[in-house]
Amino acid sequence: MKRYVTLWNLILLSVLAVLFFLVIYPMLSIFFASFLDPEEGKFSLENYEKIFRLPFYLRCLRNSLWVSFLATLLSLAIGVPFGFFTSRYVLPGKSLLKTLATLPLILPTFIGAEAWILLLGRNGWLSNLAKTVGISLPSIYGWQGIVLVFTLHFFPFVFLMVEAALHSIDKSLEESAANLGASPWHVFRSVTLPIILPSILAGALVVFYMSIENFGVPQLIGEDYRVLAVQAYNEFISEMGGNPSMAGALSMILIVVTLFLTFGQKYWVERKNYAMSSLRPPEVKKVSPFSTLCMSVFCFSIVFLALAPFLVVLVSSVTRTEGPVMYFGQLSLKNLGQAIRIAPRPIFNSFFLSTVATLIGIVFGLAVSYLVVRKKGPATYVLDLLMILPLIVAGTVLGIALASTYNKGRIVLTGTWMILVLAYFIRKVPFSVKTTSSILQQIDASVEEASINLGVPPVRSFLKVVVPVMLPGIAAGAIMMWVTTLAELSSTIVLYYGPWATMTVQIFQYIGSGDFGPASAYGTILIVSVIAPLFLLHRFLGREFSPNL
Amino acid sequence: MRVRLKDITKTYGSLKALDGVNLLIEEGDFFTLLGPSGCGKTTLLRVVAGFAVPERGEIFFGDQRINHLPPHRRETGMVFQNYALFPHLTVFDNVAYGLKARKIDAAEIRSRVGQALDLVQLSALSQRYPTQLSGGQQQRVALARALVIRPRVLLMDEPLSNLDAKLRVAMRDEIRRIQKELAITTLYVTHDQEEAMAVSDHIAIFNQGRIEQIGTPSEIYFRPRNRFVAEFTGTSNLIEIDLTGYESASSLLEGDLKGHRIFVRAVRKPSEKKVTILLRPEWIKIAKPPYEDRANLFSGQVITSTFVGFMVKYRIRAFDDQILTVEVQDPQPYEVKKEGETLHFWFDPDRPVVIPDGSDP
Repeated sequence: MKRYVTLWNLILLSVLAVLFFLVIYPMLSIFFASFLDPEEGKFSLENYEKIFRLPFYLRCLRNSLWVSFLATLLSLAIGVPFGFFTSRYVLPGKSLLKTLATLPLILPTFIGAEAWILLLGRNGWLSNLAKTVGISLPSIYGWQGIVLVFTLHFFPFVFLMVEAALHSIDKSLEESAANLGASPWHVFRSVTLPIILPSILAGALVVFYMSIENFGVPQLIGEDYRVLAVQAYNEFISEMGGNPSMAGALSMILIVVTLFLTFGQKYWVERKNYAMSSLRPPEVKKVSPFSTLCMSVFCFSIVFLALAPFLVVLVSSVTRTEGPVMYFGQLSLKNLGQAIRIAPRPIFNSFFLSTVATLIGIVFGLAVSYLVVRKKGPATYVLDLLMILPLIVAGTVLGIALASTYNKGRIVLTGTWMILVLAYFIRKVPFSVKTTSSILQQIDASVEEASINLGVPPVRSFLKVVVPVMLPGIAAGAIMMWVTTLAELSSTIVLYYGPWATMTVQIFQYIGSGDFGPASAYGTILIVSVIAPLFLLHRFLGREFSPNL
Repeated sequence: MRVRLKDITKTYGSLKALDGVNLLIEEGDFFTLLGPSGCGKTTLLRVVAGFAVPERGEIFFGDQRINHLPPHRRETGMVFQNYALFPHLTVFDNVAYGLKARKIDAAEIRSRVGQALDLVQLSALSQRYPTQLSGGQQQRVALARALVIRPRVLLMDEPLSNLDAKLRVAMRDEIRRIQKELAITTLYVTHDQEEAMAVSDHIAIFNQGRIEQIGTPSEIYFRPRNRFVAEFTGTSNLIEIDLTGYESASSLLEGDLKGHRIFVRAVRKPSEKKVTILLRPEWIKIAKPPYEDRANLFSGQVITSTFVGFMVKYRIRAFDDQILTVEVQDPQPYEVKKEGETLHFWFDPDRPVVIPDGSDP
């Protein structure tokens, strides 16, 4: 009596096919390629043997783990108190503070790196300033710089998770602990902390992913400090002695590390998930002026440290430059004008590719969230797990996998703009899936059944009743997807070709050649394009921006 | 519309939600599925609506077999437990939703929605959104929305469970009134036996995917077929006695319980040696001194005594180790017993009921 060929089963099948062709199959093919001898194409463990024998590769692995681990630790050290202060205490200018604190997430990390080069690089403005009074500031280059930039960009993941978790604890819990005689610190340690721990760890894991897969920052300021994501890219593009199967092997190691952590976290969280239907969120307390001042100073300094470098980029874009030399204080619109009027192609490319990827992402995200939330079953459970893949595969790795899989045979995509769209779409679609499925979860299934019961067929019911209610959430997810795609560098750098260079590629190359003027001009356009839609979202939909991972 | 269910079976994994259910609901009948949570009653309702597909069995509306009909073509009107109102539509548009799906012209929609809202006394609120309504008002909108399409069968899934106690009583009278006014065949699901008795023409007692008994509220209450039905339909004292004699002329059964002689009227002689009898708390009377030598006069120790005003409710220990619940209506202040005191009680041999299938299920 059961029908197997239903519309939703077909959709499930196509969704799985998309994941297969855009993630699983390319990853498998570089996995198998990593076992091939680079010269003769026979089975060999040479690549792996090299990685574990040659100190160079081992160092890359160790470096990747080290900077990611440190960045995660520092993000926790900043994000947990930040989230606790802003959600539990009355602080002046709090809503501004919270809005500003989420901005680093969507601002491109490699522009952050550029900004720090402008400040603390070899010819950095701050370094030079300090030199005139005889102080030598630490340089931004090396692992310390990478960790600094990662931390300032990624701590909001922890902050947002902690804040959300703190809001979903019913206030009676902490009150009853206090009533039983626990001091405030003891209440925090014995009740609050254990409850929000799964959220804290989820945030920490995202910071780790983002750090280990990041390509732009270590490439720009790592110098001799090589990490895996950079080395995989170098092995792939290097014209002399380049070794794509070596790139595959390095990628596999990156994936194993992240998969291991992901499943560890999933296993742990599933046993410690204290879901609560909170009726009364905890009170926001007013504390003494001194404590308020201390907390405000902490929060605003962090936000200042994370955002101020971007002001340097904005200033640089309207500063007269000659090659790498900046004449701060001398206004010039030359670079901006050049970017907008003479070479607008990268701007168009970025907008076009992001828009197409986002449109596909909206439809795909809607289908996946519906399947995962409403059509629970073994197949959709697998689908839910598979949706983690695009998140944990480093951008350069996915780029390499797609480029080497679709460069010959029946489907040739390498060297077209389509491959960029597909890469963007699959990398960023988890944003869309997460936002749509979390809002779908709040709409009871019976609302849809009521519509069907009243005579409207299932798919039309979904479109007439569910989609309208979800619309603000879908819009928020789409905007998130669009802005993060706009700022995407790591897969672009592998997949783009000549005419389809994006703003990010352009900026990256200008920084590489020391042309900070044009780099800042495109950087400014990118920053504005990324912040403006979020401002509109906030203004017209009254929604807090949240990356919802 | 007459509804007939034949041998409906539905499993979820290893759990048998419905196990060969047969039902006949007559045209215009208010039929209630009553049972504990997880007994399969909601599943059966969803089978009728088409949201759950049974592995086996047939569903008929009148003479039409409707197994193959998808939910949106079954013409049932369902009221959901959480009302399931469309949050983005006004009260009017919520009620009009099913009519628009049927491509009915605007003028008729207006008049029919108007009538439906009149019926549930909500005409004044037609431009409100669901979030601006109280629970009881949302409930009425849900009812109007289900009725306005003139469904073949009205399906209600625990519609009152989200309302507070007072409103629940008012709404159930309202539902009963509307159902009789429209004479619409209704299948109603609840776990509240009092609610079921108050609204239904017929009740089916559900347990673990099976129907234990079907009957009118009075049949179910006064003639439960087994222990489960007896216990589920009200407070019950179930006493197991040894059969010692039966006199067919007076239909009087004589039994023994720990040396006490108990008389019960029974139409026919039970076949088993052990007989389970049901004694509802309100059938037990307080004996006042002087204690005459009448049949079925016993005494017990008061374990708990709960005074609620119009009634005092005792739990007593009698017949050595049997715990009985006794309810005394309109108690006099001086006769309310305290814990530990002795209570003399008796019951008319006509009142207890022999449970045909008395063994534990």
